[in-house]
Amino acid sequence: MTPPSRRRSPCAWPVISEGRVRNEPITDALRSGAGVRGSIEIRQESVLSLALPYRERLEVRRAVFRGGPGPRVAIVSGVHGDELEGLYVCHRLAHWIEQLAATRPEALRGQVELYPALNPLGLDTLVRFVPVFDADLNRMFPGHTEGLLPQRVAAAVMQHLAGAALVIDIHASNIFLREIPQVRISQDFATGLLPVAREMNLDLIWLHGAQTVLETTIAHSLNERGVPCLVVEMGVGMRVTPAFADQLVVGILRTWRALGVLTPDVELPELSHLPFVADDTNVHYLNAATSGLFIPGVEHWMALREGDELGRIVSPFDGGVRSTVRSPVDGVLFTLREYPLVYEGSLMARIMAGPPAAGATEAAHG
Amino acid sequence: MAEEALLRMTAPLRCDFDIPYHDIGDSREAPKLALVSGLHGNELNGIFALARLAAVLKDVTAGRHAGQRLRARVIIIPAVNVLGVNTRSRRWPFDQTDINRMFPGYDAGETTQRIAQAVLALTRRAHYRVDIHSSNLDFEEVPQVRLYDPTPDERTAATLFGLPAVVERRMNTIFTSTLGHAWRAAGGTNFVIQAGQAGSLQTAHCERLFRALVAFLYRTGLLDGVTLSDEDEDIHYFGLDQNLSMISEHAGLFVSKLEVGRWVHTGDVIGLVYDGFSGELRAELKTPVAGLLSGLRRQPLLCEGDLLARILVRHHVAEGADTYLHGQGQ
Repeated sequence: MTPPSRRRSPCAWPVISEGRVRNEPITDALRSGAGVRGSIEIRQESVLSLALPYRERLEVRRAVFRGGPGPRVAIVSGVHGDELEGLYVCHRLAHWIEQLAATRPEALRGQVELYPALNPLGLDTLVRFVPVFDADLNRMFPGHTEGLLPQRVAAAVMQHLAGAALVIDIHASNIFLREIPQVRISQDFATGLLPVAREMNLDLIWLHGAQTVLETTIAHSLNERGVPCLVVEMGVGMRVTPAFADQLVVGILRTWRALGVLTPDVELPELSHLPFVADDTNVHYLNAATSGLFIPGVEHWMALREGDELGRIVSPFDGGVRSTVRSPVDGVLFTLREYPLVYEGSLMARIMAGPPAAGATEAAHG
Repeated sequence: MAEEALLRMTAPLRCDFDIPYHDIGDSREAPKLALVSGLHGNELNGIFALARLAAVLKDVTAGRHAGQRLRARVIIIPAVNVLGVNTRSRRWPFDQTDINRMFPGYDAGETTQRIAQAVLALTRRAHYRVDIHSSNLDFEEVPQVRLYDPTPDERTAATLFGLPAVVERRMNTIFTSTLGHAWRAAGGTNFVIQAGQAGSLQTAHCERLFRALVAFLYRTGLLDGVTLSDEDEDIHYFGLDQNLSMISEHAGLFVSKLEVGRWVHTGDVIGLVYDGFSGELRAELKTPVAGLLSGLRRQPLLCEGDLLARILVRHHVAEGADTYLHGQGQ
């Protein structure tokens, strides 16, 4: 088994250029919140505030970095309270822009908005859904200003993102599955989004078929209203994978530069990852044939041959093997189960077949 | 007559498990009626009503109720989410998926997709199909038939249950992944019934639900020889836009002494909101319309943007009722 041809090496952290960025920890002044630095205005503000039953309020906050009158772009994450990868990406981007503000603020032509935590109560209480309402926030869009609390959150976010040139919605799978950094695009919006996705420095683009229920996601709702929105899936729930974040940050900054949010002379690393394109015809799902403990025997993002063993399902009650999991095709392993216990039917892996192949199954989305 | 299992599966560490159902009547015929509840493991009213109905219908077929006769085969699944019942969980407890968002399902997919596929495969041959829910843990609803974009037959047959309200609602995107929607693709006459509150058993709602199911069996000619109570005759049909959801603009402790199923006048106080710290009265919540109080908040802790009550009205009200699906339990 050999790794796929695409590079999977740690990518360099983007440095603007020699002499322009001080490669040192951010100063206390830069940490201190609101204030104007050069021509970049940095502020944190609430986009929605709703009263909770006892004393507290639910605040959905964003960080805004306002440079010139150029395009507005946004990052959203933390729609699910157990997905943390996007939070770290927001931190890295904020750090980069704060450095820019301190060195050459004129390079930010447009405005960057970070919405790291759309489900702050879920994140702060370690719950995937919106607590109390037990609602999947990503099935509440476009929301309703006079509706239930999760619908109000959705509506406020939609309102604030209107007019953005590009929104990137970062997800981190769930606690069960680890995903290679990838963009997911509905076939409905593929024409406009595919060229942008190719430049995101990610390993995979997955074009999936339209599903009615996914019309309630933030990405669909934004795209339908003419706000381009890419969905990034990477890593695993309840964890942060710094290498994935740094890889994505390069793609995001390059994309912002291409959109004119950053001046063309901002120096950024070259793309280190070029994506494969998967769709419903070449993605193979490996669901558990029986229940037990799934112990993988391969690394994530490995190239596999048909018949290669991916892992075994075993039982702690005996020494035997309940099921041996084998690749049904030649391809690359882009989803690998992280949580060991499986029920019959639990997804253990997804493999993108090398050459496009028939036999696709329906998509499930994190 | 037999107790069957529609799916047998392994579990990681527990013993193998199954989803049992009742198959009552002549098994050589296609079933005429399929009754399902407990897609959500904490919705107990439907489970109890269906289990009791199965017991009675088995007695009927065994000849223990003189003069009564079951004329068709009936499938009854009291609880689909068996592990959810035992762990008091609405969702499938292992991966927190909602079985009623997994339809039509897939027999080689995730566990809950397999469960959904098996439920659909068993029930799709029946002509009449009913999926019974409670509301959620926070909300109580008067037993009612819910119709989504119904056929003329469904509009007519919905009144045969004799429940106090038949409520028509718009199709919406979430509903497309439910059992009720999957049934529509197979034709037939399909209903969603909503009764009471999740997390506990409300015996009055269970009795009403039980009588409704018996009345439906009798009025569709599937069950002979029963005498229906005439107290269930007060039926009201509410079309699209005849539903008002009261959403709170206040937060605090919500207190109400009302019962669901009563009629209210414009301006009647639905409940009071107190500040949980200072004890001061923050708001008197009054209904802006007159109508049937079909649902009422039972959870005292109230957020801004929480559902207080649902009122079914005789005239049309301007409200995007379909946007308020969440919180209805189903």
